[in-house]
Amino acid sequence: MRAMTVIPSGTFLQKGLLSIFALFLLSGVSINSHAAIFDEGDPEAGALVFDSYCVTCHELDRAKSAPALAGVADRWGSTEEMLVMWIQSPSAARATGDDYINNMYDKYSSQYADMTAQLVSVDDIKNVMAYIQNPPVVDGVQESGCVTIHDVKLEDEGTTDKWFLVLGILFIIVILSAAGVARSLKNAIRERDGKEPLAHQTYWERTKEWMWNNMAFTSLLGLFATIFVLVWLYMQAMGVAVVENYEPEQPIWFSHSVHVCENDIDCEYCHHSSRKSKHAGIPTSDVCMNCHKDIQEGTKTGTEEISKIYAAIGFDPSTNSYKGAEGDSTMHFGPQDSFDGEPIAWNKVHNLPDHVYFSHAQHVEVGGLDCKNCHGPVETFTVGRVSNTELTNSQTEVPGLIELSKPTLTMGWCIECHNKANIDKSNEYYVEMHNRMSATSRGQEEMRKIMEDNQQTVKEFGGWECAKCHY
Amino acid sequence: MGNTKKYWTGVDELLQTEAHQEAISNEFVKDQSIDEFLGDERLKESSTGRRDFLKFMGFSIGAATLAACEAPVIKSIPYVNKPDDIVPGVANYYASTYYDGHDYAGVMVKTREGRPIFIKGNKDFGVAGGAVNARINSSILGLYDSARLKGPKKDGANCSWDDLDAAVNAGLSAANGNVTILSGTVVSPSTHRAIEEFKAAHGANHVQYDARSYSGVRKAHESSHGNAAVPLYMFDEAKVIASFGCDFLGSYMVSNIFANAYGSRRKPEGEWMSKHYQFEANMSLTGSNADVRIPLTPSQESLAIAALHAAIVGGSTVSISEAGDAAIAKAATDLKSAGANALVISGSNDPNVQMLVNAINSSLGAYGTTLSIDTPANFYQGDDAAMSKLVTDMNAGQVKALVIYGCNPSYDWHDAEGFNAGLVKVATTISTNLFADETGSKCKLLAPDCHALESWNDLNPFGPRIDMVQPTISPLFDSRQTQESLLKWSGNSTDYYTYLRQTYNSEYSEALMPTDSAWHTAIHNGTMMAPKPPALPVNTAADAESPLQVDAALAVSAVKSAYKGGGTELSLYSSVAIGNGAQGANPWLQELPDPITKVTWDNYIAMSPMDMAEGFNGTTYRHTMGQNESFDVATVSVNGGSVTLPVFPVPGQKRGTISIALGYGRGAGQEEVGKAAFQTGEYGAHLTDDNGNKVPIGANAFGLASMIDGCVVYTAANVDVAQTGADYQVATTQMHNTIMGRDSIVRETTLAAYMAEKGAAKGEASWNEVHKLAVHGSTEGQPTRDFDMWKKHPVEDIGHRWGMAIDLNSCIGCGSCVTACHVENNVPVVGKDEVLRHRDMHWMRIDRFFASDYPTHKETKEKKGIGAYDAYQDMEHAAENPETVHMPMMCQHCNHAPCETVCPVAATTHSNEGLNQMTYNRCIGTRYCANNCPYKVRRFNWFNYAGYKKFKFQNPAQDELTRMVLNPDVVVRSRGVMEKCSMCVQRIQTGKFDAKKEGRPVKDGEIQTACAEACPTHAITFGDHNDQSSAVRSEGDNNRSYHALEEVGVQPNIFYMTKVRNNNEA
Repeated sequence: MRAMTVIPSGTFLQKGLLSIFALFLLSGVSINSHAAIFDEGDPEAGALVFDSYCVTCHELDRAKSAPALAGVADRWGSTEEMLVMWIQSPSAARATGDDYINNMYDKYSSQYADMTAQLVSVDDIKNVMAYIQNPPVVDGVQESGCVTIHDVKLEDEGTTDKWFLVLGILFIIVILSAAGVARSLKNAIRERDGKEPLAHQTYWERTKEWMWNNMAFTSLLGLFATIFVLVWLYMQAMGVAVVENYEPEQPIWFSHSVHVCENDIDCEYCHHSSRKSKHAGIPTSDVCMNCHKDIQEGTKTGTEEISKIYAAIGFDPSTNSYKGAEGDSTMHFGPQDSFDGEPIAWNKVHNLPDHVYFSHAQHVEVGGLDCKNCHGPVETFTVGRVSNTELTNSQTEVPGLIELSKPTLTMGWCIECHNKANIDKSNEYYVEMHNRMSATSRGQEEMRKIMEDNQQTVKEFGGWECAKCHY
Repeated sequence: MGNTKKYWTGVDELLQTEAHQEAISNEFVKDQSIDEFLGDERLKESSTGRRDFLKFMGFSIGAATLAACEAPVIKSIPYVNKPDDIVPGVANYYASTYYDGHDYAGVMVKTREGRPIFIKGNKDFGVAGGAVNARINSSILGLYDSARLKGPKKDGANCSWDDLDAAVNAGLSAANGNVTILSGTVVSPSTHRAIEEFKAAHGANHVQYDARSYSGVRKAHESSHGNAAVPLYMFDEAKVIASFGCDFLGSYMVSNIFANAYGSRRKPEGEWMSKHYQFEANMSLTGSNADVRIPLTPSQESLAIAALHAAIVGGSTVSISEAGDAAIAKAATDLKSAGANALVISGSNDPNVQMLVNAINSSLGAYGTTLSIDTPANFYQGDDAAMSKLVTDMNAGQVKALVIYGCNPSYDWHDAEGFNAGLVKVATTISTNLFADETGSKCKLLAPDCHALESWNDLNPFGPRIDMVQPTISPLFDSRQTQESLLKWSGNSTDYYTYLRQTYNSEYSEALMPTDSAWHTAIHNGTMMAPKPPALPVNTAADAESPLQVDAALAVSAVKSAYKGGGTELSLYSSVAIGNGAQGANPWLQELPDPITKVTWDNYIAMSPMDMAEGFNGTTYRHTMGQNESFDVATVSVNGGSVTLPVFPVPGQKRGTISIALGYGRGAGQEEVGKAAFQTGEYGAHLTDDNGNKVPIGANAFGLASMIDGCVVYTAANVDVAQTGADYQVATTQMHNTIMGRDSIVRETTLAAYMAEKGAAKGEASWNEVHKLAVHGSTEGQPTRDFDMWKKHPVEDIGHRWGMAIDLNSCIGCGSCVTACHVENNVPVVGKDEVLRHRDMHWMRIDRFFASDYPTHKETKEKKGIGAYDAYQDMEHAAENPETVHMPMMCQHCNHAPCETVCPVAATTHSNEGLNQMTYNRCIGTRYCANNCPYKVRRFNWFNYAGYKKFKFQNPAQDELTRMVLNPDVVVRSRGVMEKCSMCVQRIQTGKFDAKKEGRPVKDGEIQTACAEACPTHAITFGDHNDQSSAVRSEGDNNRSYHALEEVGVQPNIFYMTKVRNNNEA
């Protein structure tokens, strides 16, 4: 019974549907006796109630912090009234001394948390029961509309280069062969004419002779070659320490696309110190567990990657509990500091040298920048990567996007932005700075110069000064 | 006809001596350490030709370039389960209290990602506004000392705590009641409770002693006031202070607290300014700050108190010397007129001397105003007589088990030999010291205590005040708090935290512990007023200041007979940096120049330079004060002890006397006290003596002290001083000892002159005139500011203008700012050898200037009848008893900075907030800037201090553990760049960011540089000069403020405030 989740393959979906139908038929036969509560409800209304009350502890197809609910109609061994009472007031239901309920309690109490009273009406219960038996089937694979950069095939430039090289070598061979042939022919003519054959010359000697005879052309060619090499060297030098598109392999195949695009999680949910600290913060394992305590299987990687979080924090998905120190057999509801797990050692993607001081909080909280301004369309990334200027500039939907031309994460890129970005004039801090300026004539003159282009950029407030970032 | 005149630069050149020939053939007079790079013998043998060299170089560069293309993969490891209160990258501050048996301060501990990295004062709740000193702010390094014990040890082998406890319990039960706990002064009520429990469980005896004893003061107060305690001194109430050999600003009792109170009355703008007389033999930090300083021999010091007693209380007069008598008479007049607001204090530990001091203070009515014995300080309860008896008992085999807690008697007890001999006879010896130090290494069982930053504790400094100590990091090693150990050994298994909370209720029970909210407030603030002051076993306070009961005549005659003087007299003092030696292995403190002599990494025999030149007991000594001079070594013997040290000239030292600092010579028996406690050589290895033992820094002078009347005294007469003939180089950081008449560096006046023109506008008063330059056709001259070829820099009145005002009057030169700057800015420690080469890296230094006999060049010429050249030379010499000025000097952040214009790569530039910015990653190391700096505050980074082997034993960055102390917000500079004070730009940036985040202007006082924060006397004020209401603005506009070297016209953002001496005769 896995109709709840998005089912990735068509054939599997069909199988699932068939089995659900089969179950319906069977259960319809067997539960005639208490058809009233199990059959009268509206599954769609039940879905709403289920999602607001039951889902905290229950799932349909697997145990969460309470047993799975699918098949409850088949299992329930007591009266409908007792079912209603059990849901509305479990303690009252137990107090009646009902055998089935007490047996159930004894069986599960060690494993799960106690059932708590739910403020639901009998009609709600009917709807939920209908929903449990007849959950709405997801209509085929839902297209998330999320595309990752890896889905786009990049043109293989390397191959073209290789062909050029092969062609070049062929060209040289052809030229040399042609020269050889020409020489043989020339010798043949000389022989025919009864002259001495040409003196033996290596290819190099002949080339030199040719160059000597065509000095103007050779010089011109040499000049072009020198210019070409210098330009090439310059381009290479400008590429040193440019880390655009750097995308190291990570210990966990984490997909930003799945989290950001498909599940619409805000960047700051995981990178939660971006407004407080210079570090945006790599989410700690307990933050992952906020969701992954329940989401135990990924759509793309199954349980393999998620289980690495569990290993780090000591979570046992089979019992939905956390482990403590070695030798501690208690099942804990929350992560334990005493658990001696290996933390996840991520490979740092955005590396700034030690002599650069960069603060996320300054840019996000004070500067009001959107993450995407610098990090690009993260929703299209799988593992973390350094965005490139082209990608970053392409995000027309980002409010206040500042388009830049220098490669990302270079100093040129930083100061280009500091020259374009405007300061927030409404901030009282800057208001005070302006007041001080307007108090003196020299200040007013400075202000006039600053406002010549109707902008007050970060640079004009010292954003290009060395000690803003280097100390 | 050609000119045949011959010019020569020296007699050597004229005569063409051999030495001269040799000297000119060498470009460098001294060996260059570059030989070290090429020092490898194999390298010398190989004959690498120029072309080979170029090939190798080309290959290396190519290889390095290729290798550099591949960026290393850096790991980034988040918490598994993030603690709630830690945000990576944001500092947390925790209130705590520092107490090591000597210094005491309420502190705030800065932690980053759970690591303590900086200690500053607890401004809001700490004693004396959280005043700290260099020893306190440097103590953070001790936490990360890798020489600390890693866990318990039994008979030299590692063991588990269970094994240790079993051994201790066996030893204690075998001792059968003959158990003693030996400790420094314990001021913690809960620790006292634990000790009481231990005493009850084992019939034990508790002996306290202090490394530097004050038991004479206690004893005197016991007989005069019936309270065996040291009084609480209130220097902020003292209008006239007469101090006799008492360094209350540098090391006496809780000097940081005294300095704070003293400094608050050293501002002439205030209601009144205190007048300070200092009578002493050695030039102490306190003496250098005195308004009137009278050099006396130690025996004269005591007699002077008797003389003062006669003048104030009455009785037969005592005569010392002509000058001394006159000074005593003047002091007595001033003291009497101040009445209750007078304070007499003596550094002597002789109960008879202290008895006279008590009589004087009592007669003046000072008790209750400037000092109090009814609310005494709880510090220094050490009892020398009890300690002495313990040593006797140990030697007699009457002590079967000894627990040593927080003290090091094998090092700092005056009869360490006797103690060590007794220790061998004790069956069970247990040390709880953090190190296997002099005492610990001789004990059989080691139960290492936690560092104070890993511990819980409560401290009761005086009255009902309880200061809290809270841990700021989990124990780094397998250590256990001693209080918990004591409880465990007494059969109580309560953890110390619970035990601590239990202390604060009448029943000492768990049920009545203070409420969580009350407790957490106390922990948060670092202090609380105890509802019921917990009992410390001392201080039976009377209801009112008790009447004096002292037989003055008896005391006077005792003093007269005890201090006849004779021969060479010696005074022992605690050095300002090293204190009593507990932090002898702290490289920050070792490299902190002594406030007076500017000597680093060494101990020495202080002698008057005039004695040295004219002969001290007939022997002359080399006495040129300079940075890398050699000095003669001498052996000093007295009281059965002897030390061999270089003899160093100290102007102001009483002629005919010598002084030696305590606290040096740690680890002389090769104990594990920390690697920086030993001397290192030219290439960084530890120096070894003939037996292959590491050579300690300086020598231990505690053995020169002796017992008088059951108290250890630190002076001696008839001392034997013998020159050994050996040579020794002493590293100092200052070459120029006088200002040679340049009044634009230090400005100074007397209080009378100041008061006469108190209301003058800035630049108008005769004692602080605007510097004028002569102009053609005018006799008046014009102010320097009128000659300006620079464009006006836009920092004035626009945006921020960060600046500082340094009050030379309240600066006492203690060096707290220097070490705070070191800690905050990851300033490298360079070691003695590099200091000798003038390569000290202090971003901030304190220039100390002695006055010469004649203040101006003209006066010198006229009075001495000598020529111009000789007059200048003469001015280099300090006076016999010179007046002293301490002047903190760091980058002045000139608005017209000479360094900026000469940098070929624009690595040093000016910010629009008035900062002179240094961009290390742009610097190519030409050092033009340093050459062009008129203040000489730029430091060139010669080595990769964090990696090069020469600094292995000194530089904190070289130890895996110790480098945890580095400030992650400041880059660790590497070789080949210039560095200097950045005005803590990282703090400015953080402060501005906090303001912007909250959408408000920066508040005055919100941003503090490390030095301003560490100054115990608030001599340094930092702030935004463009903020009209800021403190720094008002100080900058004050008529005392001036710019150092104003005539060079660099327009600094640092203002100095004229020093005003309360000495109207000068």
